[in-house]
Amino acid sequence: MTASPEASTDDPVALAKAAIEYCYEQGWSDGLPMVPATRSDVDACLATTPHPAAEIIGSQPHLSRSITVAQAAANAIMAGCKPEYFPVVLAAWQAVCQERSSRGAWQSTSGPAPLIVVNGPVRQRLGINYAGGAFGPGFRANATIARSIGLMVRNGYGVRPQQLEQATQGLPGRWSICLGENEEMSPWEPLSAVGGVAAGTDAVSAILIRTVEYIDNRSTDSAEAVLTDFADTLGRMGAYVGGPHSSGGLVLGPEHAQLLGNSGYSRADVQQWLFEHAVRDPADMTAAGKGEHVADRPFAMLPSADAIPIIVAGAANAAMSMVFRPFGWAAWAGRSVPVEWKDQ
Amino acid sequence: MFESIIDPTIGPASAASQPRPTLADRPESLSGLRLGLLANTKRNAEQFLADVGAELARQYGVVPVLATKKPNIVDTAPTEIMAQLTDQCDVVVVGVGDCGSCSASAVADGILLEQAGIPAAVIISDAFTVSADAMADLRGAPGYRYLTTAHPVANLTAEGVQARATQAVPAVAAMLTEPVLAAAQPA
Repeated sequence: MTASPEASTDDPVALAKAAIEYCYEQGWSDGLPMVPATRSDVDACLATTPHPAAEIIGSQPHLSRSITVAQAAANAIMAGCKPEYFPVVLAAWQAVCQERSSRGAWQSTSGPAPLIVVNGPVRQRLGINYAGGAFGPGFRANATIARSIGLMVRNGYGVRPQQLEQATQGLPGRWSICLGENEEMSPWEPLSAVGGVAAGTDAVSAILIRTVEYIDNRSTDSAEAVLTDFADTLGRMGAYVGGPHSSGGLVLGPEHAQLLGNSGYSRADVQQWLFEHAVRDPADMTAAGKGEHVADRPFAMLPSADAIPIIVAGAANAAMSMVFRPFGWAAWAGRSVPVEWKDQ
Repeated sequence: MFESIIDPTIGPASAASQPRPTLADRPESLSGLRLGLLANTKRNAEQFLADVGAELARQYGVVPVLATKKPNIVDTAPTEIMAQLTDQCDVVVVGVGDCGSCSASAVADGILLEQAGIPAAVIISDAFTVSADAMADLRGAPGYRYLTTAHPVANLTAEGVQARATQAVPAVAAMLTEPVLAAAQPA
């Protein structure tokens, strides 16, 4: 033990700092301070979930690594979670694991991040932000649930940057993107209902993404004008990595969502409109050196209407939204995961 | 002082317990031996290996008998492809590891072939040696040797691929024939 050998037990603050430094020295940290986890912390997490401590909840067979519920609990505490967040962490982990692209994602040069979306009353109960500043920072549950997933990949799977992880640039906010859906201001059913879980049930969805980009459009009351703006960003070539199509989804601010809803658009209508309008001329693709697999004219940049996830989050204080870019070609598996509580 | 802090890296399966894999014995010469190629799905990988195979045939007298491509970049080759390679081939060239996942899994493929008694030469682009080495460590074979070619490979023209493959051939031949201790076993 080399951490602050002078740390004295009669100065609890010095001792706390030494414990944090100890965690750094073990190589456990993602760069930020960790909360040291003890057996009683892990037990407090385990008391919230019906899943037993030794249950294996994820494996990377090609790395000969698996992760247990107890290990997830230690990482969640170290990420800063309260024990009562743990069922949401487990649901988020399951949602991430069922994404088809997650097998190789953690080692990929693309360096994707999970976009974690929480639905249901658990948002209010745990203080998961879904209104102003939904992408963060500023809210413990949002920040630490997302960070838990990153620590589980790092410490559970042993995938560390510049080692097995080969992200070329990574992305701002990796391991910190967890938001509630603003169901209260959405004109449509919750994302989790699209994902097969009844509205009103606590549920988590996850999509691996490579970035987000804002669309600021406060100048019109025309739904089609706003959709045109979305389609322009969604149809750009940068996110196209070869193969059959690009990928994209939207986190709509409530103002844009309500404009579309009030104009008679269902979520499916929005998806269909964007699929039909996010297109390119193959000549553009060829000019950018990306024409190899592009034949259709016009070329649809998005895979299909229903593979354009639409989420509503943020405050109704300005008409802006975010385009996000799913990793790989799989977009979203389309299955949300119910949160399981011990007493249910 | 901090022994009560839980180590979050300790899981149910630890790679540290894996025995060191045994690498295959090397033939003295490649002449007349059956050559297999195991490509991943990265752009130019199949062409790179085909060009290596053709040059190995021309210069060293191997007989290319099987060119396979595994279905995904993350995992090692599935059992049926491994069985084809070990049944039909005497030596195998694996590549081209040119991404985070596939460089690591190419090394894993090479080690599996060696354990099945087939000398293998794994080709990785030089941007990914760290993840290749990390996989060798995970498989219990720290120091496992492979060949590198300059990154990137994906954007090369057909002529560029051919030139790069031709350049790699002497080292591929050496890796398949030099005694294991020199060729593939750590010092």
